[in-house]
Amino acid sequence: MSQTIAILCVDDEPDVLEVAVRELAPLEDVFPVETAANAAEARECMERLERERTALGVIFCDHIMPGETGVDLLVAMTNDERRRQTRKILLTGQAGLDATVKAVNQADLAHYIAKPWDKDELLQVARRQMGLYIAACGLDPLPYLQYLGPEHAATLLRDYREADR
Amino acid sequence: MLFAAMISGSRGSAKKLAGLVLGLSALLAMPFLSFGGLSFSGHVALGIFVMAAVFWITEPIPIYATSMAVILLQVLLLSDQSIILERLGPLHPEGYTAPPYVEFYSTLANPIIILFLGGFCLAAAAEKYRLDRNLTRVLLKPFGTRPRMVSLGVMVVTAVLSAFMSNTATTAMMITVAIPIVATVSHDDPFRRLIGLSIPVGANIGGIATPIGTPPNAVALAALAREGITVPFSTWMLMAVPLVVVTLLLAWLGICRMFKPRIDSFEIDIDSSFDRSPRAVASYVVFGMTVVLWVTEKLHGIPTTVVAFIPIVLLPAIGVLEKRDIRGFSWEVLWLVAGGISLGLSLQHTGLAVWMVSQIAWEGFGTTGLVVLFSLVGFLVANLVSHTVSATILMPIAISLVLPLAGGVAAALIIPIAAIGVIVSYANILPISTPPNAIAMSTGLIETRDIAVSGILVGVLGFVFTVLFALVLWPLVL
Repeated sequence: MSQTIAILCVDDEPDVLEVAVRELAPLEDVFPVETAANAAEARECMERLERERTALGVIFCDHIMPGETGVDLLVAMTNDERRRQTRKILLTGQAGLDATVKAVNQADLAHYIAKPWDKDELLQVARRQMGLYIAACGLDPLPYLQYLGPEHAATLLRDYREADR
Repeated sequence: MLFAAMISGSRGSAKKLAGLVLGLSALLAMPFLSFGGLSFSGHVALGIFVMAAVFWITEPIPIYATSMAVILLQVLLLSDQSIILERLGPLHPEGYTAPPYVEFYSTLANPIIILFLGGFCLAAAAEKYRLDRNLTRVLLKPFGTRPRMVSLGVMVVTAVLSAFMSNTATTAMMITVAIPIVATVSHDDPFRRLIGLSIPVGANIGGIATPIGTPPNAVALAALAREGITVPFSTWMLMAVPLVVVTLLLAWLGICRMFKPRIDSFEIDIDSSFDRSPRAVASYVVFGMTVVLWVTEKLHGIPTTVVAFIPIVLLPAIGVLEKRDIRGFSWEVLWLVAGGISLGLSLQHTGLAVWMVSQIAWEGFGTTGLVVLFSLVGFLVANLVSHTVSATILMPIAISLVLPLAGGVAAALIIPIAAIGVIVSYANILPISTPPNAIAMSTGLIETRDIAVSGILVGVLGFVFTVLFALVLWPLVL
């Protein structure tokens, strides 16, 4: 059985989460989408995923939220062995230069999406980043290929090293 | 138990657990049973054989790990280093002469394993410098842009490449080239399925064409080599290529009937050009030279398995293959085959193979009957378990059966053994039957049903024509 890999969206605005979940729905079958309203909830969610042995492949994270900022959450994840591989994406309109620089340098930021985003941008980014996550973790790409979009699937297959048997 | 703990929690664990228990019980129980006519060492070998077969089929541990275990168990139980012989000497009362343990270890350096290693080197070099992609581009061109011809082109090119590279690597490469382009075709156009099937069908059939095309060929060749029979590269090709051509063309016609493309023209445009760097050119030269030496064995007399060592030396020497590339070889496949070869040794040494064969009155079958029977069994088994494993389990039994019938004539031995080796490659009815099927499925271009219908078509074609060729054409070639 293949590994379940989740996507986590963190934003304090329920509307944003709703749109995100709707746009990521085509991936739901293989990449369940989780949501959290702030950093604390996100951490809880990550703990729960871990208990369920579900991997976290991609996190979309707002920056300015009540409590801990998004960038701080992402930096903390990078410093945590268990969450280092997760592809980290800032989804924000309000991260200043300093915060953005910090995210790039200290959280290995994978992608930056400025609000408001184009239709389908989220889906495209999720597909690409999930492909990169699967490659980085050395997972068997076959169960996920048709959800990744043809170009990303081709990239993953190129490095596919399964032998005849 | 440790293994049980490792296994539980994953799906299919019941099957694995049952396999584990059954396999281990067989291994432990056999020495305490007593079948008439079978020596004690034969019982021990039977235990190892049944355990290996059960493990290979149910996979409580990876199939290559089972092969490794087979070698260790034989060294521990049946070699001159045997713990049983040493500690409990009289347990081998019938005067079994234990072979040196080195004999089991050396299966890893068996000439057929070296042949495969040579094949790995060539394939790795071809992949590294994108010779495979570029050949695809060049070879596809003459097939034009009519959808059916594109499908034929894809099938033929995949088959040609997979004759020299692994079927899996070829499929992955072709799919990489094809998906982004085919994805532009409308979702309800059967052309998508046509291409999605052309690739795995081409890869599965193409592997038959040369000795290095796919591991079951190696299993057949190794079984023959143990009887002192070497099959030159060119002879194998003379036997296999006509079979591949006929079945490939008929498969293409059949699949085209099932999936009628709607678009009028389609172009597979591959963006790549031949690498002309000195190393790349050197790798092309080594590739070409090796293949030429292989097919001209009858002229110069250097055996296939010796020629195979040339690229193993040259490609790393000229810097085409680096450490990283060598580490990337499918070493587990070599272990898998070596374990099988090693198992064959004990089946013979202990008289187990002869005993198994003697349990059934085979005389009535004749060679033809045996070819048909074993092909059928091989085909059915290979749909469910790995092709290499099916060939490995059947081959030692088959060769013991055929040996007395062959009466010392090499051809009479080569034909049935090659037929069994070849037929397993036609067993592709399920998505899990072969990795090429699994890859093609994963693209979403085709569904399980498509694999099943094309698999049945190819399976029937393969079965009928292999038997036909084995009986009619191969005797003329050998």
